[in-house]
Amino acid sequence: MTLTDRVGADLTRGRVSVELDDIQATVLRYRPEPYYGTHVMLHLEDARAGRDFLRRLTPHVDSAAEWWQAAEPWISVAITYSGLDALEVPKDSLQSFPEAFREGMAARADQLLDHGDNDPKNWEPAFREGLIHIGVSVFSDSEETWHHTMELARRHYEGRPGLTVLSAEDFGAQPGDLNPLGYKDSIGQPAIEGCGVDPLPGQGPAIKAGEFILGYPGEAGEPLPSPRPDVLGRNGTFVGLRKYQSRVGAFNRFLQTHAQSDDERELLAAKLVGRWRSGAPLTLAPTKDDPELGSDPSRNNNFTYAGDPDGRQVPLGCHMRRMNPRDTKMAVLADVNLHRIVRRSTTYGAPYDPNAISEHDDNVPRGLHFIFVSAKAMATMEFLQQEWINNGNFMSLGDERDPNIGLQEDGATFTIPQQPVRRRVHGVETFNVLRGGEYFFMPSLSALSWLGNLS
Amino acid sequence: MATDVQTTTHSPQDLTVEEQIAHLRELFADAPEVGRTALERVLNELTSQATDPPPPVQSAGRVGIRLGKISELTIIVPLAPGGAERLRAFLRLLGGNLAGADKVGTVHDMRFVFLDNDTRMLFATAYDGDSWDSYIDDFVTKIPDYLDIMDSAWEGWPGIRSPGAKDYLAAHQVSAEGWYVGNPDLTVVETRRLKRIGKAVDEFLDKIGDE
Repeated sequence: MTLTDRVGADLTRGRVSVELDDIQATVLRYRPEPYYGTHVMLHLEDARAGRDFLRRLTPHVDSAAEWWQAAEPWISVAITYSGLDALEVPKDSLQSFPEAFREGMAARADQLLDHGDNDPKNWEPAFREGLIHIGVSVFSDSEETWHHTMELARRHYEGRPGLTVLSAEDFGAQPGDLNPLGYKDSIGQPAIEGCGVDPLPGQGPAIKAGEFILGYPGEAGEPLPSPRPDVLGRNGTFVGLRKYQSRVGAFNRFLQTHAQSDDERELLAAKLVGRWRSGAPLTLAPTKDDPELGSDPSRNNNFTYAGDPDGRQVPLGCHMRRMNPRDTKMAVLADVNLHRIVRRSTTYGAPYDPNAISEHDDNVPRGLHFIFVSAKAMATMEFLQQEWINNGNFMSLGDERDPNIGLQEDGATFTIPQQPVRRRVHGVETFNVLRGGEYFFMPSLSALSWLGNLS
Repeated sequence: MATDVQTTTHSPQDLTVEEQIAHLRELFADAPEVGRTALERVLNELTSQATDPPPPVQSAGRVGIRLGKISELTIIVPLAPGGAERLRAFLRLLGGNLAGADKVGTVHDMRFVFLDNDTRMLFATAYDGDSWDSYIDDFVTKIPDYLDIMDSAWEGWPGIRSPGAKDYLAAHQVSAEGWYVGNPDLTVVETRRLKRIGKAVDEFLDKIGDE
């Protein structure tokens, strides 16, 4: 199903002022519904093998041309700083990349506040040791085309000297398109100016393309700093990956401890995120779930917080309101348009289990690949982690953290504003634990050719 | 053993408290009488403070230091021709109180000091957060003009929208080496919240107390 099919009449075509056929598909194509796929992480033993691989794969990497009409599976390629170094990209070009990208996510633990349970020393080895050079992903809306596309990709990376497969992790959210904690996710996306589609209902005004794609003006009027040479940077972007293990047992126990009936548990689950688990936003369904609303892309994002300044419908500290405050009047001056990310997250492992309550259940492999795209992805994620996720100051919530992806300390609370007196729930735990992460550069198709033809 | 103990080649962090006190007394041997005798009078108290120290200052990004949640930014900058007069008139219009900073929400204080016959300026601020980098892009899109009115008094200021603006600030910034904060855990926002709550609690207790 194309985006046009899903949204119907609410999708209106707009101006195209970016080079869609040079930008990789992942940057603009929405995650399919349902979605299937695989993330493959590769390590290069020598530059020649890496360049050969890119030359072979690039013709099969999809562009964002007519992305709103796309229904086929797609392949994407992204490269870490170590990967660019392993490809023997010239030194002055390597130096032109942002410092955070060059250091790699593990080395940015202090800026990301990845401490305690999220500390890189606890990460999976490939992430902990910065071994990942190239990430190849396949996205599809059917099992059959997923397997078919994987076969094609495998032919290019399997059994090649100089190329090691570190991991191939399947993803998908079946049954029901639910993430491991039982939510329909990845609903809200930024509208990007000049990409051929006007903002969908509720997305707000389009944000300047340069915030998400290198080489175009950003919100302040100038293009953001871009890697050199121009052919390498232009139409590229940065992608962050943070792989979380979802502690379903702890989450279910939390719901059972703090709510007595099924209805109360669902309402509490909704207050933590800002949407019922069906996807219906609390603003439009304040007391009762509405699954039809939750699954309708023309309606499920069409709201503002104008009527809810104090958070009595949508708590100020809930996940959705922290990640996109929209028109909330915050205690700290900020321009929300500068901190948006495109999300292409995927769910992996065992499906959501409403009956899981043990610590053993917490360790059954299942969770999220939180994948975010922005022309300044490193700076944005580090800002979000410091200011809006692991901090409540911007919403007058003191030290409270995001209940979904925050790193919780002992005694963590979650405030639910209500009359006559707010409810403060105690005993919030870290429900999503970080198992690894990395910063990637997602080159344009021209840049992929340039890299493949380096000599 | 070498005679290094006599010289000052060790960095202070390498020395024990006893060694640092000894070093301090050595330095004060050449101090004015008033300082030398003062040091001797508080020596015991000072030694026990140093032996059981409070949390030390930490860095606040590229330049500048932080204690708890509150960082300092200190800039010393040459003033542009006519800059002092323009900035002084602007400050005077607002009674010397840039209360517009209320809406920024993270600024504890700001200080504008004209030095050396209006040829240089000291600008100093205490603010919430790790580093002023975090929200500066937001200032560029939300309050660029007030920043440019003030900062254009500074020699060579490229404008807040220029990519060189952050480098300009960092180049003129000097890290403090001593930074004391009365309530290092209290952000501007948290203080306002506690004031509201405190007032409500007082009213509530008044009601109960009257019964």
